[in-house]
Amino acid sequence: MGNGTEHVNPTTETAKSAPAAASNGNPSFHDVSATISGIVERRDTPLWWWIAFGISATMTLGLLVQIAWLFWTGIGIWGNNIPVGWGFPIVNFVFWVGIGHAGTLISAILFLLRQRWRTSINRFAEAMTIFAVICAGLFPAIHVGRVWAIYWMFPLPNQMEMWPNFRSALMWDVFAVGTYFTASVLFWYTGLVPDWATLRDRARGWRQKVYGILALGWRGGNRQWKHYEMAYLLLAGVATPLVLSVHSVVSTDFATSMVFGWHSTIFPPYFVAGAIFSGFGMVTTLAILARALYPPVRDFMTLDTFDKMAKILMLTGMMVGYAYIIEFFTAWYSGNEYEQYVFINRAFGPYAVSYWIMFACNVIVPQLFWSKKLRRSLPVLFIASILVNVGMWFERFVIVISLHRDFLPSSWEMFKPTAFDIGFLAGSFGLFLTLFLLFLRFVPMVAMAEVKGVLPQADPHANGHHDRGGKEGGR
Amino acid sequence: MQFDSQTHRFTDPGPFARIMLLAGIAGLALSAVGYFVDARQFFFSWLVAFTFWTTIGLGGLFITMVHHLTGATWSVVVRRIGEALMCALPWMALFAIPVLLGIGVLYEWTDPEAVAGSEMLSRKAGYLNIPFFVIRTVFYFAVWILLARLLAMKSLAQDAGWDDKRAHSLLTVSGPGMIAFALTVTFAAFDWLMSLQPLWYSTIYGLWFFGGAATSVMAMFAVTVSAIQAKGALTDVITPEHRHDIGKLMFAFLVFWGYMHLSQYLLIWYANLPEETAFYKMRWGAGWTAMSWILVAGGFVVPFILLMARGPKRGRSTLAAFAIWLLLMHWVDLYWNIMPALHEQTVILSWMDLTTMAGVGGFFLFFFWRWLTRHPLIPVTDPKLAASIRLVSG
Repeated sequence: MGNGTEHVNPTTETAKSAPAAASNGNPSFHDVSATISGIVERRDTPLWWWIAFGISATMTLGLLVQIAWLFWTGIGIWGNNIPVGWGFPIVNFVFWVGIGHAGTLISAILFLLRQRWRTSINRFAEAMTIFAVICAGLFPAIHVGRVWAIYWMFPLPNQMEMWPNFRSALMWDVFAVGTYFTASVLFWYTGLVPDWATLRDRARGWRQKVYGILALGWRGGNRQWKHYEMAYLLLAGVATPLVLSVHSVVSTDFATSMVFGWHSTIFPPYFVAGAIFSGFGMVTTLAILARALYPPVRDFMTLDTFDKMAKILMLTGMMVGYAYIIEFFTAWYSGNEYEQYVFINRAFGPYAVSYWIMFACNVIVPQLFWSKKLRRSLPVLFIASILVNVGMWFERFVIVISLHRDFLPSSWEMFKPTAFDIGFLAGSFGLFLTLFLLFLRFVPMVAMAEVKGVLPQADPHANGHHDRGGKEGGR
Repeated sequence: MQFDSQTHRFTDPGPFARIMLLAGIAGLALSAVGYFVDARQFFFSWLVAFTFWTTIGLGGLFITMVHHLTGATWSVVVRRIGEALMCALPWMALFAIPVLLGIGVLYEWTDPEAVAGSEMLSRKAGYLNIPFFVIRTVFYFAVWILLARLLAMKSLAQDAGWDDKRAHSLLTVSGPGMIAFALTVTFAAFDWLMSLQPLWYSTIYGLWFFGGAATSVMAMFAVTVSAIQAKGALTDVITPEHRHDIGKLMFAFLVFWGYMHLSQYLLIWYANLPEETAFYKMRWGAGWTAMSWILVAGGFVVPFILLMARGPKRGRSTLAAFAIWLLLMHWVDLYWNIMPALHEQTVILSWMDLTTMAGVGGFFLFFFWRWLTRHPLIPVTDPKLAASIRLVSG
């Protein structure tokens, strides 16, 4: 056993509140390594994992087959048509990009805000971010129609003297999502390095070699930790504006247009709030499942953690509700009959059901969490978190679908999703779950080094003398 | 000025309150003269001064509720500053009266002929009419004063002896209080400022208004901390760590505010609809371009770059200097939003801009300082106090 095993992350988040991870008893550093690494190291993959993987991998294959058919036939296999030129693909794109945001919020913003409870879920949430962005990036890529010309979206020098239109919000998307993916992967991997080293030091044979390569030569010396923590802080600083910028740019896909119901100045912050909301919904869903399927992580993902996630769901849900109210009011206040019609049509038109699903799931369901009892009830939280994502998917649907009645009543047309629309959505879930299951199996799902850093014994002043105090602080 | 570090009170609050009171009285008297010189200028200047100080009071209310809702530890030692700021709000209600009296001068939509002559304005008459406007303003202040009083009374009652139930009741007030705050502040921004150009609308306007309030209140925290420490009070209680946190939040809200401005501008510029671009057209060209640039560069770009570093946020005088600069920029921001409705062609600074700021601000600071010095400067019984003092933030 080398010196990588018992890495303590001594100064990361030197805040005050009792670490969530330690509230169920008080695991030693070794317990943390053994529990989390044990999940990755065990040879007998549980049966449920194979079943779940089989299903999601099949769905992913289904997605690939559909993509092949799409390239062969053209995007006419979807329900997109004039006037609803953007159907499910853009809905799914925005939905998946949004999911990713919670991961970055947890890993970057909550880090800067010294929220130590994040250590038990940040690895998990960041992995979710990366997989969600992969699912998101798929949809615009396959929606371009002439897929062989997809590289035109990148500013590559070429003989045709053709450059992307940098004034197009869709081009901004390419850069925003590309930046986001790069930063998220770097941040995630930086956090993983000490944990790979722990796995390396516990492993034998070829596994040790593989983990050794992944650990990038980590030895856990003071100097390495010093650099590591500065790098982590800087990456958190870099990732923080990305939480806001990416979904703001996504919102400009709609808001820079002159389409009523889309062109609204509140769109950037409104989309960001919605993204964090849906992302927290997804983290909650996945964390409750992981907790049920991997009993050892229960000591880390405690009810206190879920209590706090429920509060963030409630907060961001109300931010989204604020945007709905202000948009509706301003539509009336604008005095513009087209603007007014869009909103009345959303709430009372042919797609009213999706509007009210959106409203109920996003604004009313999170109100449950005023009650502490419900915040700490995993079944309630599980159902609510799924409803949140149903609501957020419908929010994007409501926005996109309001194209179905534009300025000219003669060109009004209903949007009807085809089986392929549903199939692509299901396939993207398959891809997401496949990647996530692989993550659960092969990567330590809780950031071991960070959890150790917030255990009481990691505090050099923990034993009373020279007490920096406040173990009981926070709330 | 004397500070007793046992009771955490000023035994002699010093001449600051008296000076502010005199400045307030002088400012009001001169502004009253201004009313007879140029009533239009008076009302617009008044509106700038009134919104400037009201937003700072609102920021105090916001930060106090956030403190309770998040259960923060670091802010315990500076919590009283926010409470003192929000307790000046009842006096701001008094200063709303000139706005209501000047409603016919300030707002085009109060003119029945203009409304009758404009299809758009008559559509908005259900919201933009004098009685409803007055009722709303009274309602906003009623909500804010109620919240401020509840939170302040309970907080002060804790000084006699900590009660966990009472601490919890601060939380139960702050939860619904925050919802009420978000909606009232948004509609106050719509009413007082956005309706100055009644045909123009922007859904983000309430968030922009809030962003300015939040940045300025952190600036007021920084200035106050610097001022009381200069008098030898709380020098070992409020540490560079707390200043660093205040500075970080000030920076974060500054970015939030800039983000709101950018979102509004970018989307309106891009869509290029005449009904929306009218707002920026008034602020661009002729005499307003320079002020727009001052707002962009001085209000955001320069402080953004300089405040990113760690040093300026931790130093007492550097943090205070940035804070005063950002308060000045908050005034520029409000002026830039309000005054084009009066001086369409160019920026015409008036002596009344100064006297109204002194008049309203003198009283605001008088009441703020009086509240702060009459009560212990820190919540002495708070169980998190010790942990807050020993904060290490890095």
